[in-house]
Formats: sequence, structure tokens, C-alpha cells
Amino acid sequence: MSNISYREVNDDVVRTMTETGRSYYIALSLCLVGIVITFGLPWVYQIYTGQGVTGLHSPAYWGVYLTNFVFWIGISHSGTLLSAILFITQTPWRRSIYRSAEAMTFFSVVTAATMVFVHMGRPWNWYWTFPYPNQRELWTNFKSPLMFDVFAIGTYATASFIFLYFGSIPDLAAVRDRVAGWRKSLYGALALGWRGTDREWDLLQKAYTFFAVFIIPLAVSVHSIVSWDFASSKIPGLNKTIFAPYFVIGAIYSGSAGIVTLMILLRKAIKFEKYITHVHFDKLGILLVVMSLLWTYVNITEVFTGWYTGTSYELESLSYRMFTTPFAYLFWLMIACNTFFPLLFVFRKVRVSIVAALLISIGINIGMWIERYLIISTSLPRKFLPNMWRDYFPSWVEISLTVGTFLFFTLLFLLFVKLWPSFSIYEIKEDIGIPMEKKGH
Amino acid sequence: MAGFLDRLLERFKIYREPGYYKRYDYWWAMVVDLDRCTGCGACVTACQAENNTPVVGEEESGKGRVLNWMRIERYVEGEYPDVKVKFIPVFCAHCDKAPCEVACPVYATYHNQDGLNVQVYNRCVGTFTCATYCPYDVRRFNWFTYKDKGSFESPLDEQLNPDVTVRTMGVMEKCTFCIQRIVAAKDRAKDENRKVRDGEVIPACVQSCPSKALTFGDLNDPNSQVSKLAGLPAEPYYLRESGSKLAKISKNPRAYRLLEDLNAAPTIIYLKRVMKGSSTIGHE
Amino acid sequence: MNHSVLGFFPYADRLLGAAARLKQAGYRNITIFSPIPIVHEVDHVLGEKKNPIKFFTFFGSLTGFFFGTTLAFGTAALYILPRFGKPVWSVTPTVVIAYETTILLGVFATLVSFLFFARLPYYKKRVYDIKIGVDRFGLLVRAEEEKLRYVEEVLKEAGAEEVKRIYED
Repeated sequence: MSNISYREVNDDVVRTMTETGRSYYIALSLCLVGIVITFGLPWVYQIYTGQGVTGLHSPAYWGVYLTNFVFWIGISHSGTLLSAILFITQTPWRRSIYRSAEAMTFFSVVTAATMVFVHMGRPWNWYWTFPYPNQRELWTNFKSPLMFDVFAIGTYATASFIFLYFGSIPDLAAVRDRVAGWRKSLYGALALGWRGTDREWDLLQKAYTFFAVFIIPLAVSVHSIVSWDFASSKIPGLNKTIFAPYFVIGAIYSGSAGIVTLMILLRKAIKFEKYITHVHFDKLGILLVVMSLLWTYVNITEVFTGWYTGTSYELESLSYRMFTTPFAYLFWLMIACNTFFPLLFVFRKVRVSIVAALLISIGINIGMWIERYLIISTSLPRKFLPNMWRDYFPSWVEISLTVGTFLFFTLLFLLFVKLWPSFSIYEIKEDIGIPMEKKGH
Repeated sequence: MAGFLDRLLERFKIYREPGYYKRYDYWWAMVVDLDRCTGCGACVTACQAENNTPVVGEEESGKGRVLNWMRIERYVEGEYPDVKVKFIPVFCAHCDKAPCEVACPVYATYHNQDGLNVQVYNRCVGTFTCATYCPYDVRRFNWFTYKDKGSFESPLDEQLNPDVTVRTMGVMEKCTFCIQRIVAAKDRAKDENRKVRDGEVIPACVQSCPSKALTFGDLNDPNSQVSKLAGLPAEPYYLRESGSKLAKISKNPRAYRLLEDLNAAPTIIYLKRVMKGSSTIGHE
Repeated sequence: MNHSVLGFFPYADRLLGAAARLKQAGYRNITIFSPIPIVHEVDHVLGEKKNPIKFFTFFGSLTGFFFGTTLAFGTAALYILPRFGKPVWSVTPTVVIAYETTILLGVFATLVSFLFFARLPYYKKRVYDIKIGVDRFGLLVRAEEEKLRYVEEVLKEAGAEEVKRIYED
């Protein structure tokens, strides 16, 4: 990468923000229209009519909405976490991918948060879940795992946004110097008057290290807490102590796969092939193999301990998930996508092949979505009293809103690419190297 | 300053004590004698009439969205001609360690001073978590505003119980042990400066049971009918401690609690049905 | 009356050499502009800087911990609603809440103290050049007017492309 000049980096990144092709506007308007049709209207219909428009029933009170919630929280788990870990370990290949990865984190947390409101029976009372002094003198229940969620996800969204914004300040300043018109005033305000003095850089690096140190335990806690929503119940198939590590590993796994997918699409769309090279996919491929093995191990442990308990309800929930159609198809598809296909990444040829990486990473995320779906939709319909057993299948409203979340995420990301330096200018420059007259400092 | 610290320490002790419920005035409980139960379903109907529970219609019932607060579970065992049909009425057990209470983020469900697990409709935001956590599947959700869907079409609205709210969509509801009757009885007792007498509170299901299979009363009172039927010793509080099985302390050999090993400490006590060739009924 | 001299360098090592010479000559008010962080190298020349942020981060986190604990315990005591057969003050859930608020307020304190010590946001005009944002390193020395001639000499000698004097009013 050392043959790229500093000026070229600035030019390339500013170009992505200022030069807009027609295909971008088409994609943006398609997303907008799609969101209105698949997300907006069905949600209005659901709020107006009631949760009865979903496929939920007793006892399957949780369904696709929570699947999406966990899925998007999972996707969020790699960007910031990976960025923080790689920052602390001083890994050089982090630098050209981390900005978009962090944005992915923030946007998927936002997407996940919409699912919480969609899932609620009375979403207009959403603010009751926040602790604030009120006339009723009633606070929130801090013993509830859902309250942990409010705090964890609130903190996570805030911290990952600060992490994203904070790391972008020098780049926003660089963009500010290059643009005119409304962009000038926007980025002028956002850059906070950054000048790049030694004092500012020093403090930035020190504060950034603190953020990175905060982010790692935070990210781990967030998905542990999401898993406790399930694990602190008494339901067979959900009440498992391994859930916290299982979810965290699954989250990092799906998040890393999400990064691979996104990077492949992004480098193609904005012609950044020279910044995101085979080196990155090589490393990410190794990461995916490791995560795949870890995930498989924990998955086997989960099934094994469930089977080993020998209680009738655990066994029922397992056989319902693994050997009963139609869930058995999904289960074994998940195993194929998440355990077997990623193993192909052990071959370097597969890792550096863009097409293979794209297919496998999409496959992983399909598998991870199925995993969350199976956890919810095969546990709740098989609770303790067989009289109440009843299968759950999503209704068209739920499926449509699920499609809507993907469009919502895409919309946010499209806006991000256009409005924010989606690649870190100064860190790519760091990757190129400090210009020294005498080499070998 | 020292006084303040003492008070603080004293409070701390109270707040850390899991057994605060010992100070409760009443401990409402139900005894279900499965030997007497004929499975006629009168209790289900009475409950529906008393608590303004909407009739949801054929289609919604088919989807598993019946709003009955109680149900009679029926299990058929064996092949003809050797068939055994077992049934068991299931409704909210008002667990002392109710999993639903811990699930709710907004305090819409909590334990009141009578040992009841109550649901505050106004407070509910509909996260479904309580219903998911409930091992007995007794919580019911208002999927629609059934009032608008014609569940109480005139003249059916004339028979709505004025003491009970008609719920709108998005809130969870469940068996309350007919709390409106408990409150009325407590009011009367307070006016006459006494405690509520045994048998003074009769929930709708108990009232309508033709074979007197259901008994309702106060477990705090060792002379009450429920205490006697359950065969509990004078101080039954350790029923609420973890891991204690009813069969170990009860003098009645038929007494058990549904899904007792989940440690939710339910307050509904079932008396086993005595059948030829089997020692148990239902689920243990 | 103090004025400044600003020199632009294409190479970082040249700039650092000039900065080292000026530092030795007794100039205190040296600012280095760079398009990328060269913290380690600058520290080598100008001496390591203190890290005032860490105290704020620490006390922010500590405040967060107490905030979370007080919130969970305090609100439980304000309105006692028994549930789940648990004590009013349950420790385990409080730890989870306090954990999250520790991080939240720690992050806030870090951000605020960074902005404070880096004197951001600052929207009035300051010495800056858009070349710094691209690929040039800048060295700004502020001193009395009579001493600036020497600075200019040093900068040019070190290989500065452009040296300009900035007068303050």
C-alpha cells in the first residue's frame, strides 16, 4: 500500500462523499420506498390493529421480532469490538476497514432498537422502560433482564457512537478543508475546529485507548445480557448457563461475517479495491474459521448438556428442534452454513477469493439468523404443559418487517457512505507510513 | 448521626431479608381436589363471566389465542378399551417466587400484601416477557381491542361486571383470584374491625363448581379449610423456601403442586386423583 | 509582543530535527501539526506529555458505579414492590446495572475531558493551513519578535518548503 500518496487518500475519500452517481440515488430511493412499504405501513397497521396481526400466540409470545433483535445486536458485535481489540493489539490491517465496521455497529444497534418497539404491545408507552422521576413515583424494575437490556443497549449505542465520532474527528477536519457550500458548514461544525496539533493527537490517542478499553467489556456484557433475557427464564431450551458465551461467540461470528459481506460490497461500490485488499480478506477468513470452530464447539456443548440432563422437557425441546420438520431442515441448514462451509476458509485460495468469501459470509449470516429463530421458535412452543403446545410460524406482517429491517440498515449505511468519511483517512495514511527522508527510523 | 446510621442499618437488614412476606396479612391459596373434579368447565365459564374476559371467536381460538384465564387440561392415555382420561384445571398459581414478576421491566406485575401475584393493566407495555417466563402458560394477552371487535356487542355489554375493567389491546392479563371480591370482603371486614373470615371470599370458579372441587382460603390461618385440606402445619412459611416439596411436609398424602421442581413455589395445591392402577395424576 | 513562525515540511524526520534544535535553543512554545498521529516521535523530541484524561476517566467510572448502585438500590427502597420472593435489595442485578453505568459515565467523562484539554470545540479562527490535513507537517513556534529570525533560519536549514510569519493583533 506504500505506493499510494497521502493526497490520493484524501482525494479518494472525499470523492466518495461528493461525487454521487445515478445508481446511488436509485438505491437510496428504492430503500426509502421499500422501508415505507415493508416497514412503515405494516407497523402502522400493527399499532392500529394490535399485536394480533402477528403469528404470535400463547405460549409462543416471542417470535421473529426478537429473532431480528438478537440478530442485529449480534451483527453489531464485531465492528466496534473488533476495532477496539485490533486497536489495542496494534494490528495494522484494522486501519482501512474499521470506520465502516464501527458504523455497521452503530446502525445495527439502531436497527435492533426499532425491533424492540415493534415487538412491544403498547409501543406508545416506550418511555416507561426508562428510569425517570415521575408523578407516579414508580421507577423501573432493575431486577428484570429487560431492564439490563435497556441499560446495556443504551450504553452500547452511546459508546459506539462516541467511538465512531471520536475517531472520525481528524477526518472530518480533512473533509472540511476540501469541500464547499453546505458541506463546509456541516463538517466545520462536526470537526470541532480540529487542527492536528501534537497536543490534540496526543490526547486523541490517549482517549481513544480508553474508549477501546471500555468498549471490549461493554460489548461482551451487551450480548451476555441479551442472552439472559432468555437464559433467566425457566423454559426448556432457553434456561441454559452456556447462553452468555454462546451468544457472545455467535455475535462476534455473525458480526465478522457481516463485515466481510459489507466490505466486499463496499469496495466494489465505491471502487476502493486498492485499500481493501486480499490481505484483509485473508485475515478475516482466518478469524471466521476460528469463530466457526468456537461456535460449533459451544453449539455441541449446548446440545450435549441439554441431552445429558435427561429431563423430559429438555429432550422434547431438543428433538423438536433437531429432528422434527420443518425445524429440522432449518437446524441442519444452519449447521451446514455455520459449521461446514466456513471450514473451506482454511484454504488460502478460498480466503482470497472474493466470490467465495461473499457467498460463505452471507451463508454464515443466514445460518446465524436461523440460529436465533430456532432458539426462540422451538423453545416457547414446547414449554412444560403439553396441552399448550402449539407451533409458531410468522405472519406476513412479521416477515415484511424483517425485510424492512434489512432495508433500514441499508438506508442508514447508504447515508453514512455519502455523509461521513467511510474510510479513515489518517489511519490509512498511517498504514502507508510516515514520510521520512531517511528510511528506517 | 448515630441514630441515622442505626436507622440505615436497620433498613438495610429489612431490605436484604428475602422473607418480608411473612408480615403479609393474608396468604390466599386454592386447593384443587382432582378426585372431585369432573372436568365440566363451569369454572371456566364463570371466570369468563366474572372477569369480563372477551370471547375471541372461532378463528382466533384456532390460533391459540383464547383469553380464558383458566383452562381444563385434558390428557388421554392409552388405547381403547384401556383408556384413561385425566384432566386438571390450570390457572395462575400466584407463585411466591413468580418468574413473571422478575421479568417485567416496568413493575406491571408484582406481589401484593396478600401474597397475590397481581397484574397492573395500566402499567403494562406489552413486552410479553412475563408470559414467556411463566411455566404454566396462564398469562393471556389482548391481541386486539376485543371490545371494538364485537366481543361485547349489545346486549352482551349489559352483563359486563362493573367491578372489573375491560382491557384494551396490548396488555397482559391473567387470573386474579377474583381480587375484586377479595377487596370487597376486606373492606367489609375492616368496617367491622375484624379479619376476613374463612369462606367469606369465594372466587367465581369456586362459587360455580358443582362438585366442590375447588376451595379458596387463607393459608396463614391454620384453621381455614384450605390449610386443613392441604394438611399443612401451623407455620407453613417454609413452603416458600427453595426446594421444599409439599409432599414432604403435608399431612395429606394426596397433596402436590404442579411443576414443583421448577421452584416457582406456586400456591395452588392439587390433591391427587385416586385411580385404579396409578398413583399419580398429571405432572409432577 | 509575541508572534509566530510557521514552517511546512514534506518529511516528518526533517520537522522533528528542526523541533529538536529549537527546543535545545530554549524555545518553549512549539506546536507540531501533522496529518497523521506521530505521537511517539513527537514525544521523543518534545518530551512526554502528561495524561490528564485518566483521572477524569477514573472518577467518571467511579461516579458511574455509584450512580448505578444508588439508582438500583435507591429506587427499590423508594417504592417497595416485592417480587419473585427476592429481597428488596438484590445485589446481583444491581451489579449488572452498575457495570453498565460505570462504562457509560466513564466514556462520557473521557469524552468531556478530552474536549476540555484539547480545547475543542473551537470555532474561531486559529493558525491552520489546509495542507496539514493532506500531507504536510507544520511547525509553529511562538516567541518574541527578535527571536523569530533564528527560528526561520533553522526551519529553512532543516528543509522547510515554506516559512511564513504570522502576526497576532
